[in-house]
Amino acid sequence: MDGILPYIECFAALVALYLILGRGGRMTKVLGILGGFAALAWMYVMAGTEIIGGEGVGREVLFLIFGAIAISAAVRMITHSRPVYSAINFVFVVLSSAGLFLLLEAEFMAFALVIVYAGAVLITYMFVLMLAQQASSPDKITEVPEYDRVAREPAAAVTVGFIFLSTIFGAVYQGIPSMPPPAGEIERNMVRAEVLQGLPKQLKSEVEKIDPSFQWPPDIDGNKNMVHADATGIFVLGTTEAGKHQPVRLPESAGPRNTQFVGWDLVARFPASLELAGVILLLAMFGAVILARRQIEHGEDELREAVGLTRIHDWDDDPAVTEEGSSA
Amino acid sequence: MILLASAFGQLALAHYLLLSGVLFVIGLVGFLSRRNLIVMFLCTELMFQAAAIAFVAVGRYYYDFSGQVFVIFILTVAAAEAALALALVVLLFRRKPTLNAEDWRDLSE
Repeated sequence: MDGILPYIECFAALVALYLILGRGGRMTKVLGILGGFAALAWMYVMAGTEIIGGEGVGREVLFLIFGAIAISAAVRMITHSRPVYSAINFVFVVLSSAGLFLLLEAEFMAFALVIVYAGAVLITYMFVLMLAQQASSPDKITEVPEYDRVAREPAAAVTVGFIFLSTIFGAVYQGIPSMPPPAGEIERNMVRAEVLQGLPKQLKSEVEKIDPSFQWPPDIDGNKNMVHADATGIFVLGTTEAGKHQPVRLPESAGPRNTQFVGWDLVARFPASLELAGVILLLAMFGAVILARRQIEHGEDELREAVGLTRIHDWDDDPAVTEEGSSA
Repeated sequence: MILLASAFGQLALAHYLLLSGVLFVIGLVGFLSRRNLIVMFLCTELMFQAAAIAFVAVGRYYYDFSGQVFVIFILTVAAAEAALALALVVLLFRRKPTLNAEDWRDLSE
């Protein structure tokens, strides 16, 4: 019985989604929304208890708020009949997942997400949506087309969703205890020490802030490590007024910040991937420009032919223009 | 009641994975059930978003920042995908002024 419980929860959640998606009336949808939240709350209670992202009373409340906003905005996004409102609901999903990233101490990613997604990608979507909607029906702009109002095969879609969600949730529910344990204090401090080692200027100023008598550079051990880690924190060894080989402990505030961690990983561990990402973006830009451009020229030529015009003067092939620079 | 107290007392990795799985499935269902081309692409963005949450949560669990680095690459792919997909939609829209995916069935023949 215990083994199939997660699948029952997934089934309940997807039945709720089906009720929201389907053609039912207002009551059916309200029932679906209530049932969906009940199923999600049940899943939340059933989920495991390996702590993540520090402790604090506010965290669960914030997680619940952001998660509820994200899920309800996502459901509203796939059910709303007007695509522009779908896009706006997706902005809510992005903002609440940025909030979740802040809870997970990923500040850089939270702001990058808001800037790139909510700021750039969604604006592009909005532009195309406005462009398409304006042109499709200029006289009856308020009418929503049929293909936006009625979901296509909601039962089949929800079945696929159920298979997928029960796979994920079954694995999460049963597989978490068999996963490797989370990083302990020593592993965390080793990561901090490794990154701080790569930031000598910051290391020097932080050490001098704590102990002005510290004589730079600190002692270097056999592995060329300046910063050392143990279970309670990170420290450097060196000569102070108290003598040789004195440890200077660095507080959490001296350690590398989230942006420095991410930047260090990006540049030191994945430089080739970074270059590849640049190439992908460049090629996408070329592709978008070429795709959108060629068709404009086609359209103009066809338009000319349709109204019975031919190109009177081909400026590109005119020797007078290319030689003298300007010609009437 | 012990289960309740322990679940509400601390946040687990499972909670984040669960949230990301639910968001992914909502995106999947949306992709399969909507017929508007642009909304279908928005649903793929939602699935990217869910994957990003899972990456950051697992990265936090193991204190490994490559999870966040991978989210940067997800953002890259999502931006490239949005640019190309929207260019294609504009291209299709010029031929036939509709966003209905079923009107483009003849493309598959």
